[in-house]
Amino acid sequence: MSETLRVGVIGAGSWGTTLAKISAENGHPTLLWARREEQAARIAEERCNAEYLPNIELPLNLETTADLQRIAEFSDLLVLVVPSHGLREIARQLGEFVDGSQCLVHATKGLEQATHRRMSEVIREETCLRKIGVIAGPNLARELAQCGPAGTLVASHYDEVFRKGHAAFGNHYFRVYWGHDVVGAEVGGAFKNVVALAAGVLSGLGFGENSRSLLMTRGLSEMARLGTAMGGSLVTFGGMAGIGDLIATCSSSLSRNFQVGSRLAAGETLPQIQAEMKMVAEGVKTSLAVREFATQHHIDLPIAGAIHRLLHEGGSVPELLADLMAIPTGPEFAELTR
Amino acid sequence: MRPEDRERIQLEVTSRVLERHMARSASGPDYLETLINDTIYNERRRLERDPPKGDEASFYAGLAKRLPKASQVELKHMLEEMLRRFVAEVVGNFDERVYRLSTSVVPTGLSLLLKASSAAGPRDLLSLDGISVVRDHIELQGEVDHVKRLLGKGTLMVVPTHSSHLDSIVLGYAAHLMELPPLLYGAGLNLFTNPLISFFMNNLGAYRVDRKKTASIYKEVLKEYATVAMEMGYHNLFFPGGTRSRSGAVESKLKKGLLGTAVTAYINNLKHERMRPNVYIVPCTISYDLVLEAETLIDDYLKEVGKSRYIIEDDEFSKPRRILNFMSEIASLDGRIAVTFGRPLDIVGNFVDQEGRSLDPRGRVVDTKSYVLKNGVPEHDHQRDQEYTQEIADAVVKGLRENNVVMSTNIVAYTLMRMLKLKNPGMDLYRLLRTGGSTPSFPHGDVVRETAATIELVKAAEQPRLADEVRSATALAAVDDALRHFKSYHTHPVAERRGDRVFHEDRNLLLYYANRLSGYDLELRGARRSSGEPQASREVQSPGAQQSSGEPR
Repeated sequence: MSETLRVGVIGAGSWGTTLAKISAENGHPTLLWARREEQAARIAEERCNAEYLPNIELPLNLETTADLQRIAEFSDLLVLVVPSHGLREIARQLGEFVDGSQCLVHATKGLEQATHRRMSEVIREETCLRKIGVIAGPNLARELAQCGPAGTLVASHYDEVFRKGHAAFGNHYFRVYWGHDVVGAEVGGAFKNVVALAAGVLSGLGFGENSRSLLMTRGLSEMARLGTAMGGSLVTFGGMAGIGDLIATCSSSLSRNFQVGSRLAAGETLPQIQAEMKMVAEGVKTSLAVREFATQHHIDLPIAGAIHRLLHEGGSVPELLADLMAIPTGPEFAELTR
Repeated sequence: MRPEDRERIQLEVTSRVLERHMARSASGPDYLETLINDTIYNERRRLERDPPKGDEASFYAGLAKRLPKASQVELKHMLEEMLRRFVAEVVGNFDERVYRLSTSVVPTGLSLLLKASSAAGPRDLLSLDGISVVRDHIELQGEVDHVKRLLGKGTLMVVPTHSSHLDSIVLGYAAHLMELPPLLYGAGLNLFTNPLISFFMNNLGAYRVDRKKTASIYKEVLKEYATVAMEMGYHNLFFPGGTRSRSGAVESKLKKGLLGTAVTAYINNLKHERMRPNVYIVPCTISYDLVLEAETLIDDYLKEVGKSRYIIEDDEFSKPRRILNFMSEIASLDGRIAVTFGRPLDIVGNFVDQEGRSLDPRGRVVDTKSYVLKNGVPEHDHQRDQEYTQEIADAVVKGLRENNVVMSTNIVAYTLMRMLKLKNPGMDLYRLLRTGGSTPSFPHGDVVRETAATIELVKAAEQPRLADEVRSATALAAVDDALRHFKSYHTHPVAERRGDRVFHEDRNLLLYYANRLSGYDLELRGARRSSGEPQASREVQSPGAQQSSGEPR
C-alpha cells in the first residue's frame, strides 16, 4: 500500500492498542487515544500498554494522547474501539471536532442496549460523518499483537473506507477483506459474543467438540436469522465477521465472553465475575439488546433466549443445558429459507 | 429560462455528454459505433410503435445508412447530431415574454382552464373563478420561511410527493405565493400535448421529458440538463417517485438519477468557484381531500401490483369535464390542498439552518464542502456520490413521511378499511375489495368511534400530520366532512351514509385514500391496541371521547 494515512485509534484497550500497533508498523503515523492522561503518558513512556496488552512492544511512530480534539484533527482514518455502552458519549464528543472528509471504522462488537441500535447508527446519530465502516473478524487481540496470521473484514457503504482500512491494517500477517454489508458485519460481531458465552459454559461443564460444534452451528443460524431481520445479507454470516469470528471466539479461552461462560459453569456468579474482570464482556449486555429486539420483531432465537435466562432471569447452568437441549429440531434451514 | 441561458445550456449539455463519451471511446474501437447503433435501434423501435414527428424517421434512417462506413471523426459528428436533436427537444420553445410573466400567469391560467372546460360543462359553473379556487384552497405549511430564506444562498431542488398532474400547477402557484422564481420542471411529453395543461407546462419552466425514449444517451441528456440548469442557479422541481403514486401511499422508494444531480451540480459549482455553490433539497408534500385521478391510479395499482403502467394517457386528466367537476368540488366543499415543506437538506442529507449551513444531527455547523474533498480539493467520486445520493434519498423519504398531511378522507377511509378487515378476519385483501365481505355497512356511531381511535393513534404516533380541520374538529365532524367529499366527485360514492349506517361503496378508492396512512406502523400499534381489547374499547368509549364527538362545532 503506497498511501500513507494518518490513523487515529480511539480506545487503548487490548484491541485498540493492537490495531494502533499494526497501523504504525505498516508505516502510517498513528495516534492512540486513551481516556486517562496518565495512561496515555505511561504507554508512550513504556512503549507498552502494560495494563491491557502486557509484554508487547509498541513501535516508535505510535504516539499517544488523551485529547480527543487532537486525534480528531490529526486523522484521515479514525478507528473507534470503545465498549458499546460508552460509544455514544465518545462519538458525541468526537462530533465536536470532525468534518465530512474523514473516514471512521469502529471495532466495537455490541448493540446499544436501550435503543438496539448498531454502533454505526449511533455514530451516524452523534456526528456529521458519513464515511463510516466496521472492522470485524476472528481477531483475538493478543495473537495479532504477536503478529500471528489472521484475517478480518472491513465493511462500509463507502469504498474509500475499506480502501483506507485495508491500507492501514493489511499486511503480510493480517489479511483484510472488504464488503458493503455493514449490518451483517455488525450483527455478526455482536451476536457471536452471546454464543461464546454459551460455548464457555459447555466447555466449563466438560463437554467436548461435538457439543461445541452443535452450539456454534445453531448459533450461526440464529445469528443469520437476527442479521437478515435487521437488514443484513445472508452470505455475510458465512464470512469473516460471521462464522470466522464465531469460530475464534467460541474456541479460544482467550475470549472474555467464553471465560465468563466457563466461570459460570464452575459455579461463580455473574456479579462476582464482572467485578473481577478488567475488560468488558460485551455478550452480557448484547444478550439484553438481542432479547428485546427479537421479542419486538417476533424472531425466534432459542439459544440467545436461554443465555438471557441464565444471565438476567436468575437461571442456573443446569437449566441452561436443559433449555438448549429442549430446543425443537426439524428441517435444518427452516428458519432461513422461509 | 432566459434566452441567453437557453443557448448556453444547449451547448454545455451537448459538449459535456459528447466529451464524456469521447473520453470513454478511448477504451475500445467499437465504443462509439456501439453507442450510436444502440441509440438508433432504440429510436427506430420507438418509431415503430409511435408515429414519427417531423423528420425523425428519415433522420435515423440516414444515420443507420452512414454508420457502417463511418470513420471515428464521422462517428463523433453523428453522436453530436443526435445529442443536439435530443437537447433541442428537451429545452423546448420557451417564450421569453411568457417566462417573465409566468409567476403571475398561473392563476390566470387556472381561470382559463376552468373557462375552457366549462364550455363543456354546466352553465352555472361559468362564474367559477380559477384564481380564487387556488388562492382560497391552497394552504402553505411547514418550513415556508426557511425555504424563502435559502433562495439567495443557493439553488433549490424541490422534491414533492406526486399524486396528480395538478401537483405541478399547485406547486407552481405555491411558488408564486412564496415569491419564488418559477421552478424548472421536467414534464412528460403527454402533458405538453394535453391542450389544457400545455399552457401551464410551457409557463412553469417545464422542459420536455419523453418517457418513451429509452436510449441511454437521451436519459443522460436529461440528467445533464437538470445539472447544468442548477449550476446556472435555476431552482428545480422534480417528483422523486418518478411517477404518480399508484397506491395512494407516500413515496418510499425514490428514483436516484435526478436526485444525484444535486451532488454533481454542487461539486461542479465548487470546482468552478461559483458564488453560491450550495444546493438545497426541499422535501414537500401535496395533500388533497380528493385526488383527481384516484380512480385510474388505484385501478392501475390493483390490476397487477408491480406491473403498473408507467405512462397513463387516458386518465381523468385528459377529460376536461372531470377537471371541471374536480375544481368545482374543491370550490364548493371547502376543499383543501395542503402544501407542506419539510426541512431543507444538504447534499449528504444533513439539515441546513436558516443561513443555509449544514448541521450535524446534534445541530453543530458542518462545512458542507468537506464531504466532497479529495486530497483537499473538491472532486467527483462516483461511488461516494452514489452513496451520498442514497443518503439524500433516505432523508427525503423521512421528510416526506414526517410532513405528509392526512385529510379527513384519508382518516375515515383508513378507519373503514380497518373495520372491514376486522369484520372479515383472514379474508384476502383482493377478495375483500371485490366482495365487501360479510356486511355492506357499519353503524354510523361505530364509524365515528373508530375514527376517533384512528385520530388518537395518529396523534400518539406524531406522524403523519393531521390536517388542521381534523386536528381541531371532533371525530363526528371528520366523518361528516369525509362522507361529504366521498359522495361528491367520484363516479360512484366512495362511502355513503344512509340512515344511521355508513355503506362502503367503492372499496378500491377506500384503499387508495387509506394508503396515505400506510407505512407508519399504525397497523402494528392498532393491533397492539386491539389485542388488549377490553382496555382499548374502554379507551375509545371513554366519556371524554364521547363528549367531544357529540359536541356541536
